[in-house]
Amino acid sequence: MSRHRTLVAGLAAAVALTALTACSSSTKKTNDGGSGAKKDGGVYTSIDANNQITAGAPMNPFNAAPNSFLGYNQMRLGFDKFNPSDPNDLFPGLAASWTASDAGLTVQLQPNAKWSDGTPVTVADIKTSLAIAYTQGTAGPVAGAGSTIVLGTNFEVSDIKDLGGGKIEIDQVPGAKNLYFQRLVLSATIVNDKVYSGLLPADIWTLIGAVQGSDQAAAKTASDKLTALGKTIAAFAPAKDVSAGPFVLTRVGPGEALLDRNQYFFAVDKIAPKQVILRHYTGNQQIWGFMTNGELDSSPYTSMPTNILDQILKAGYTRTDAPSYVSASIAFNEKQAPYDKTPVRQALAHIIDRDAVTKVGEPVGGIPAPYTTGLIGSQTDAFLSDDQKAALNAYKPDAAKAASLLQGAGFTKDGSGQWHLPDGSPWTITLQTVNGFSDWIAASTIVANELTAFGIKTTPAITADFATYQKEMAAGKYAVGWWLTALGPQTDKAYNRIYGTADGFSIVNGKAVHSDTSAVNWQHTPATYTVNGQTIDPGQLTADLSVTPVADQKPIIAQLAAATNQELPMIQIWNYTKVGFYTEKHFTNFPKSGADALLLNQPGVWMMQGFVQAK
Amino acid sequence: MTGFARRLAGKLLAGLVMVWVVVTFTFFLVHALPGKPGDVQYESYIMQGFSPEEARAKVAAVYGFTSHDPLLGQYLGYLGKLLRGDLGESTYYSGVPVSHLISSALPWTVLPVLSGLVVSFLIGVVAGVVAAVKRSSRWGGLLSVSGSLVAGVPSFVLALLLLLVFHTEWHLLPDAGTSDITLEPGWSPAYVGSVVQHAVLPVVSYALLSYGGWLLAMKSSVVTVLGDDFILASELRGLAPVTRARYIGRNAILPLFTVLALSFGVMFAGSFFIEQTFDYPGLGELLLKSIGVRDYPVMAGAFLLITVAIIAANIVADLCYTLIDPRVRR
Amino acid sequence: MAATAALSTVVRNRRPAFTAFRTAVTRKPGRMIGFGIIVFFVVLAVCGPWFYGTLAVDPNAIYAAPSADHWLGTDFAGSDVFQEVVVGARYVLSTAALAALFTSVLGITVGLVAGYHRGLVDSVLMRVTDFVLTIPGLPLLIILSTVWSFGSPWQMGLVLGLTGWGGVARAVRSQALTLRERGFLEAARGLGLPSRHIIVKELLPNIAPYVAMHLLLSVIAFIGAEVGLFFLGLVPFSSTNWGVMLNQAVFSGGAMNSPDALIYLLSPLVCILLLTLGIVLFLDAVDELFNPRLRERA
Repeated sequence: MSRHRTLVAGLAAAVALTALTACSSSTKKTNDGGSGAKKDGGVYTSIDANNQITAGAPMNPFNAAPNSFLGYNQMRLGFDKFNPSDPNDLFPGLAASWTASDAGLTVQLQPNAKWSDGTPVTVADIKTSLAIAYTQGTAGPVAGAGSTIVLGTNFEVSDIKDLGGGKIEIDQVPGAKNLYFQRLVLSATIVNDKVYSGLLPADIWTLIGAVQGSDQAAAKTASDKLTALGKTIAAFAPAKDVSAGPFVLTRVGPGEALLDRNQYFFAVDKIAPKQVILRHYTGNQQIWGFMTNGELDSSPYTSMPTNILDQILKAGYTRTDAPSYVSASIAFNEKQAPYDKTPVRQALAHIIDRDAVTKVGEPVGGIPAPYTTGLIGSQTDAFLSDDQKAALNAYKPDAAKAASLLQGAGFTKDGSGQWHLPDGSPWTITLQTVNGFSDWIAASTIVANELTAFGIKTTPAITADFATYQKEMAAGKYAVGWWLTALGPQTDKAYNRIYGTADGFSIVNGKAVHSDTSAVNWQHTPATYTVNGQTIDPGQLTADLSVTPVADQKPIIAQLAAATNQELPMIQIWNYTKVGFYTEKHFTNFPKSGADALLLNQPGVWMMQGFVQAK
Repeated sequence: MTGFARRLAGKLLAGLVMVWVVVTFTFFLVHALPGKPGDVQYESYIMQGFSPEEARAKVAAVYGFTSHDPLLGQYLGYLGKLLRGDLGESTYYSGVPVSHLISSALPWTVLPVLSGLVVSFLIGVVAGVVAAVKRSSRWGGLLSVSGSLVAGVPSFVLALLLLLVFHTEWHLLPDAGTSDITLEPGWSPAYVGSVVQHAVLPVVSYALLSYGGWLLAMKSSVVTVLGDDFILASELRGLAPVTRARYIGRNAILPLFTVLALSFGVMFAGSFFIEQTFDYPGLGELLLKSIGVRDYPVMAGAFLLITVAIIAANIVADLCYTLIDPRVRR
Repeated sequence: MAATAALSTVVRNRRPAFTAFRTAVTRKPGRMIGFGIIVFFVVLAVCGPWFYGTLAVDPNAIYAAPSADHWLGTDFAGSDVFQEVVVGARYVLSTAALAALFTSVLGITVGLVAGYHRGLVDSVLMRVTDFVLTIPGLPLLIILSTVWSFGSPWQMGLVLGLTGWGGVARAVRSQALTLRERGFLEAARGLGLPSRHIIVKELLPNIAPYVAMHLLLSVIAFIGAEVGLFFLGLVPFSSTNWGVMLNQAVFSGGAMNSPDALIYLLSPLVCILLLTLGIVLFLDAVDELFNPRLRERA
């Protein structure tokens, strides 16, 4: 009995405590909100869309899900402007200026560049960071990466020389003429040598040399060692953040990250906020919630419906738009009949009303794709002449046109309005999409409805997760499914998405080789197309793009765009647009629509460039 | 008391066997799942502007933590590590120890779950007795219905409604996180107050989640006991109400110990919905996220921890049962 | 002996089951309401999809307000929310019913056999039960949802049932344990009646109220679990149901932040609440039906 009573007493005490603290919380609330802010610039609150924040993850940028935030406490020599007409255009970061040379690149560090512990940023930091890039697979070949070195992908640094006075020469491997060497080197993550060099062996550059060497066996051994090192580095958890960026990570709570201004930052006078809070989120709906409550100073791109957009604008936010080089498409497996027939794909393009689909799928962050060219709308506009554009087929909704295309291909329509395949069986479509991509799922209901109304019974099917989707798609299990294309701003990347490995093309010594039986080939388009009476090889044209400077790309792109528009390996439904928001409640001078280069970067980069000032 | 010790030892042994079974089950279940962690991340790298080759290389480097040994070897290795308290390394967080991730999340599940359990137990049991005694009156009936309704309504429905009212409409309580990040963690009143403030909605949700269970079990139990012959007899014999209440209480509390173990499980399971709705970064959210990104070691670890907690609750419930019901004690 | 006799009379008196049922249900208006709600939803689930075959979409009327055409407004695709609620009821209810069937068969059998026999059989069965109880059902379902398709109510119901019978088995056993020590069972054993007779004729009727209560409660729990899985977006769906509606409303429609999508969120929520209320009110009648002592004391 006594045991019993003690138990009850304990429980009672616990409840009393809970009740007490619950009461104290309600009184607490009033002085919680505004305190602390406004002094010395105050607190800047935002969200890092690429980083959901997990307590317990390391403060190490090389981890896959780190508590390290680009532009705030994670620095680079420069920040990519995502300029489609000049891929080597960057904002200065730790590098104040740079000049390209025959050997590679000469970089002038910011004269006052310092780490948050007060020590200067030196050549040793750059050298260690670039060596680490090799272990992370982002600088050169690593084992398991497919063994082929693709130009334009890795930056292949061979040597780093200290020229004195903060001037550094970064050399490219002789013979590796990477068009984008400058951008790739400058956007490598720079970490502190004192923190990270202990993880690297003394002979790291010998290993890197061996990987780049011609001795295959030695290269393989060295590459394995680098990969092993890469794992150690990725898992490394520094005890304390040492940042060369405008902010330094103070603490990561279970729900938020708190960063304080780095008083040693080279342009600290430009940084208005005293602190930055990056909030944790698990889904879009939370970001909407934060904004309708006015809790964020700026927001990253979030997919949203129109009713939420209205709500956010009502809460005092200003919308910014910047191009997003991604397009949502419906792709085909041309090995599965009847999608091997070009008129069938064209007919489907005429049946699907892209405006209506976009309105339901991505009403705010999507622009109905004006053309299917393999590029987003603005890039199509930039690369094609007016005549070339006029020649493109816009595939306007046109049921009659679709019907005649189908009839021409031997399809028939029965009395009930249902279409039949040339062999007489009824035509049904399973439109595959993937769990978690809510815009695709919503859009699928409209597409299915339109196709069913036309007389092709269509059911959307949802794969449980992206990993399975990827795998089953590559295995050729889906005849018709959603896919991201037009991945830019680099045009070669956009076309590589269509006429690359997914289509059986691989590049050997600059030559495109097509294999219809390749394990990852699921599109199964033919190796060549005939466009305007001319035979073209889209794989080879794509390979040529990667070694052609942007200024000379127009003729190649004209051919690829025309071919893609005619043959429709996929139908572009909408192009994403990067919709962001800011409020001038606490700070002013935010980058506005039109400032694409800034808007495609993190707020930390805005601040470095002198934007975001205290009110 | 030696009987009790023997029973305790037996229970512990059985518990250990159960843990082993669960470990084995979890290990093989989790490894039977399709998809690799890197596959999930590949597309997001593509979205971030990496080329396919680059993305593949990055996946290979960053997600190289998946073992390629034969499954049995992996299993034995996993058991061996478990004995040393090592839950393995996360793949999604490239090699971070699972125990580290779990220990960061655990307090934010245990704290609200226990608080909710205590609150709901006290309110539920008292309400249950009232509902049983007054069952023919209107208030008793209403009380029972309230219990059944709250017990029946899914946790996410309650959580969504609470959030809608207290956050969206009234702006009284925060909708995310565990505390105000600008405050230094510690025992300062400001920090503790902030933690409590953030915990109110989750705790209330947990409490509502099991309140109905307690109430209904207690009511039904009291009603059954009230109908028992010996209570009837004691009533007829004119025993003092206090004595009768003791008879009733002692017999009626019995089935509650099964409820304790069960509601512990219900709450941990409910933590998915509650943590997801309030974006409260505990074990449920960690497990949910690890499933989404196919982080097998974290999945297995979090799963294991939840099951071990439930096993422990079962043992405790069973022992309490023995201590109180003399008929089962032998 | 006397108790056994008394009990048998009660059991026998209950024979005209329909009359007893009607009496129990009509005794209080609350029970009538509960019964009515359940019947309403069952009719909805059976007949609803006949009325509305495929849902129409209208991209020009997204999140439209309630009107004569759309009683509860429209959703993200301009589909009628009322129609969705009706069409979605079938999956939700049939899954819950199937799951309850699997649960009760498994749970009662295991619980009774274990509780009555004790010893080795009890140990083995209880270890299995412990295992089922210990494996947290919901996380397991979430993991399984990535391997199995839960598209048909049979699959979802089976999995829910397989993960959910532990509670019933345990409750039945603990009741059986208590009852086992009571006089009338000892008397029956003393008379040399076979175990099967004792379990089926003496134990089962006494445990029935507990089981019935558990079963109805578990129906509610199953509805919660299945709808919850869809709500979290963990289960791929090919057609709409209440969980899908909740998921779309919260995660795509922003119902927590925008009044436009609020009805879309509240419609399935209210259905779940109503159905729960119906079962709860009806539970009272079931309780009385199987537990005549309640009537005597009331």
